[in-house]
Amino acid sequence: MKILAVAGDFTHLLVMSFRSMFSPPWRWKNKMAALYFVAVESLPVIIICVGFAAVVTIIEASYHMKIVIQSDALVPGFAAILILRELGSVISSLLLGSRVGAGWAAEVSSMKVTEQIDALKLLGISPIQYLVGPKLLACILGNIVLGVIANIACLFFAMLISVFKLGYTSGMFLTTMRVFVNFQDLLFAMIKSACFGATIPLIACFCGFRAKSGADGVGKATTDAVVGISVAIIFLDFILSYIFSHFYAS
Amino acid sequence: MKHETKVGLLFLATFALIIGFAYFLSSYNPFSDANEVRLLFNFAGGIEEGSPVRAMGIKVGKVKSIEFDANRKDANGEEVKLVVTITIAKKAWDTVREDSRFFINLAGVIGEKYIEISPGSLDKSHLTPGGYYRGEDPPRIDQLLSQSYSLAGKILEMVENNEGDVVSIIKNIDNLVTNFNKAMEMLTKTGGSKNELGSLIKNLNQITGDIAHVSGKLRTKDADEAIALIHRLLWRLDDLDKKAIKKFFQEEGIKAKLF
Repeated sequence: MKILAVAGDFTHLLVMSFRSMFSPPWRWKNKMAALYFVAVESLPVIIICVGFAAVVTIIEASYHMKIVIQSDALVPGFAAILILRELGSVISSLLLGSRVGAGWAAEVSSMKVTEQIDALKLLGISPIQYLVGPKLLACILGNIVLGVIANIACLFFAMLISVFKLGYTSGMFLTTMRVFVNFQDLLFAMIKSACFGATIPLIACFCGFRAKSGADGVGKATTDAVVGISVAIIFLDFILSYIFSHFYAS
Repeated sequence: MKHETKVGLLFLATFALIIGFAYFLSSYNPFSDANEVRLLFNFAGGIEEGSPVRAMGIKVGKVKSIEFDANRKDANGEEVKLVVTITIAKKAWDTVREDSRFFINLAGVIGEKYIEISPGSLDKSHLTPGGYYRGEDPPRIDQLLSQSYSLAGKILEMVENNEGDVVSIIKNIDNLVTNFNKAMEMLTKTGGSKNELGSLIKNLNQITGDIAHVSGKLRTKDADEAIALIHRLLWRLDDLDKKAIKKFFQEEGIKAKLF
């Protein structure tokens, strides 16, 4: 019964949050601040991390292909498709979830503990509309932007390592990549980023709203939020990849 | 810089990256400089949307779309079910003529499928943009294998059913070859016979030459007239005294100069 109650609460938060995105008051300043926090401030850490992930992917793929078929000629192609379909959006979302989700969970849970949320209700302001709505919009749009930039950065770093470590020319890398990669891969990556982006504020704020009193309560809410976000992203990735696999040509 | 400006710049950069990526993958090209042509196939051998189109080995376009059309027929009335729309860059448009042929080919270590266009003759006219042209269906390996498998089965069945006959035929051929070898050896050993054979062939050659000469003469206009004359003569003589004519032909014979 407790699980059902939790699921019901989460569904209520989900519906109300999406409704608040499209209903006044618009609170553009809050939305812009959240967007800046999500997209601009997270950009450097995401580019650095996906860059290293791309480098590791290329080196490992080349090593394994040389063992299996004594040639790493196809590495740029399938590394690029792996980056676009999985790495770029999943790694950037997990990083964003850790950075932003933890922050928002701590913020909301401390507001709950210090009864600021009750104060908002007393003032006639919906806590979901005031706290979750702007974060949800910012996270969906911000994660799409971050996902696209992360994917392109990932491909760029993969090309660099292919040129300097594996002895490819940039032309060879791009030509092989074009054989494997379609534009729909980037579109699907953007859809994934949007879905992952939506889970971050929803789970973070949900854990924050349910925080127990005291410093322990804030800490536990933050931990639960980060774990919940990570698990939700991995699970959603599986669901979306399964759905998208029906649209791939082969 | 204000926060709003930074966010705006980030969104603009992302938009530019998406457009650039689409342009790079040839999914979107606002500066397109190509004509479209529709190719008809019954078997497209793995061609996909986006596959390259090459003229004389150089990339000049790509496969834009592939459609199934159950009611389509080509200029010769043959039913063709696949319509493959390709683009051809205007720089290569001049080299592609009505007698150009469109093949489906395989290239590179990863087996990339592409459409190869053979150059057309200068005296033929250009293709019509948007027109329908018949492509060359690539050979179907699965069909060839199936046919050769069936053929091998039939041969095996025939050999099994006529095992005795086949063995006897092989034995007879073997005997024939042995006898022929023996005859040739004998001819080689006996020099006289060799000369006789040579003279025989020489005579035969001469006779056939003479026959050719005579038959050549018979084909002339004079010979035709002479034969017609004799025919008319005989026709007239038919009503006369048959006994006397018979005697004349049998005892005296005909002394006529034909040539």
